[in-house]
Amino acid sequence: METLGFLIDGFGVALAPHNLLFALMGAFLGTLIGALPGLGPANGVAILIPLAFSLGLAPETALIMLTAVYAGAMYGGRISSILLNIPGDEPAMMTCLDGYPMAQQGKAAEALAISAIASFIGSLIATVGLILLAPLLANFALTFGPAEYFALFLLAFATLGGITGKNPMKTVVAACLGLMVSTVGIDSTGVQRYTFGTLELYEGIDFIIAIVGLFAISELLFFIEERAGGGKEKMAVNKLKLSWADIRNILPSSVRGGILGFIAGVLPGAGASLGSFIGYTLEKKVVGKKGFFGQGDPRGVAGPEAGNNGASSGALVPMLTLGVPGSGTTAVLLALLISLNITPGPLMFTQNADIVWGVIAALLIGNFLLLLLNIPLVGIFVRLLSVPPMYLLPCVTMIAFVGIYSISNTTFDLYFMVAFGVAGYVLRKLEIPLVPVILGLLLGPEMEKNLRHAMDISDGDWTVLWNSGLAIGLWLFAGLGLILPYIVGPILRRRMKVATAATAGNPEGD
Amino acid sequence: MTFNDRIFGVLLLVLAVAYGWGASQFPEPFGGSEAIGPETFPYLLAVVLALSSLYLIVRPDPDNAWPWSRTGVELIIAVVVLVFYAMLLQPLGFILSTTLAVGTLCWRMGARPLNAYLVGAASGVVVFLLFNFALDLSLPLGLLSFLEVG
Repeated sequence: METLGFLIDGFGVALAPHNLLFALMGAFLGTLIGALPGLGPANGVAILIPLAFSLGLAPETALIMLTAVYAGAMYGGRISSILLNIPGDEPAMMTCLDGYPMAQQGKAAEALAISAIASFIGSLIATVGLILLAPLLANFALTFGPAEYFALFLLAFATLGGITGKNPMKTVVAACLGLMVSTVGIDSTGVQRYTFGTLELYEGIDFIIAIVGLFAISELLFFIEERAGGGKEKMAVNKLKLSWADIRNILPSSVRGGILGFIAGVLPGAGASLGSFIGYTLEKKVVGKKGFFGQGDPRGVAGPEAGNNGASSGALVPMLTLGVPGSGTTAVLLALLISLNITPGPLMFTQNADIVWGVIAALLIGNFLLLLLNIPLVGIFVRLLSVPPMYLLPCVTMIAFVGIYSISNTTFDLYFMVAFGVAGYVLRKLEIPLVPVILGLLLGPEMEKNLRHAMDISDGDWTVLWNSGLAIGLWLFAGLGLILPYIVGPILRRRMKVATAATAGNPEGD
Repeated sequence: MTFNDRIFGVLLLVLAVAYGWGASQFPEPFGGSEAIGPETFPYLLAVVLALSSLYLIVRPDPDNAWPWSRTGVELIIAVVVLVFYAMLLQPLGFILSTTLAVGTLCWRMGARPLNAYLVGAASGVVVFLLFNFALDLSLPLGLLSFLEVG
């Protein structure tokens, strides 16, 4: 098996002492980021990118650290779901349903431990899936020409809103805005576009500045508007009493959730939120009347947690093999790849094999680290949860400032970041999703390049864009991605709402 | 009420037209024009944005309320603080400007002023030390540059 050999090489990279150290640091920071309400994984990874840069880390080290942050954030999201009934990020919403009732019954420690084990199983299954599936998909993607890539990018935008997305037109608007910003600067033929003669714009707008502004600064503004500075009351954590039978009890749920989550993560347009939702509903169906879902059933914690972590590892498959991320956080990881001068996509598996497999191996190791971090050290994270947002968010904003400033040591970038923050706030108010904006910023140059190549080959004949069976298929799926939310979306959304409202009592999050 | 989407749709339409017009003003690239020039991709974007903004105008979603009155003022204060932070970072130095910016933000978000500025100062000093000594990245000292060692 070729894969096995690569994987062993990957372990060689990931087990190097400094890489291991950064993985551990990333896992810790990630859990912290995931646990703190108002600091989602995308946000957290975005803030850390400039730091990874200015530290001058080697590409594989930077990538290993931020992948660990990503994995850690998925673990961390459950802590605030269980203790505060506030999902740390959107996919953790389903964990609130049974996790919070468990905490109310004085079983917070058990809920935390169970969810950590379920997260571990979900991630493990999905990482194995990633190892098996990624090389196959990468091989397949080698047959893509420029026209197919152009269609693939369209597919990525069309499905980004997800089946549960509210208004696909707003996804289109957001993607256009992102792509427009990406055209600023000197293009490949040497023509200045939309620079207005400003020297700083010649090289285009650095997407890292845009990402940090859109996420971190707009989050601060949202917290100010909601006046949530004081934080919420937290459940007390009891002493852990977990027997082997309890763990065995949740194993089947975790495995089912993990597999489903992985599938949902790989498929475009599904994402981690749907993964955890399906994980929860399936558990309810399978266990049937014997369960007491919504009143603190441990299986109701395990299923969605495994699903959510499985989906987040699954989402790495399209990002690594095709260079097309399916979620906000993987989009941010893509930003890191591009800025490290690594072209994501099938070629990465041959040209940067050590990096790819190092990251995959790091993901496996990271999972064990996270399990170790999360069971004995959960107390630390719990204590940090009581830092009220009114101190936390200004400090996070300051870190964002420092990170952006340290990239180029100019204040021009900082003004830009604040401007993007205000824009992000306005867009969120208008319910225009930010992730397509970011994806547009990232994919814009590639998309235009592929369009140019396709047209140059065909000598200006536009029909080349849908001339192969593969390209037609991609266009078709992209079309479905925009139309399905109108048909299936309202039904699915209603179900998710009913499920959350019936059990949680007070729906939180956005 | 459906004002937000309609107004935003109109603004986007204006943007799309301006963006498309901007693309038509690009000079011809050196070496003659090809099948796809620098303006083709922007044209595509302008058309798609114009169509989708028309959709927003015709079929708008219900509005989210904008924060007027006090909350709105707080938001403006926050943005002003951030702009000043960026402006004063170099002249005042990192520690002083962070104390002011983080302190003011904490205070406006509901912390008691003394605590707020203490947190601001502490975070500024900690991050400064961390960056300059542990991570080897220099942040400006500004007014405090007399403290510089060696």
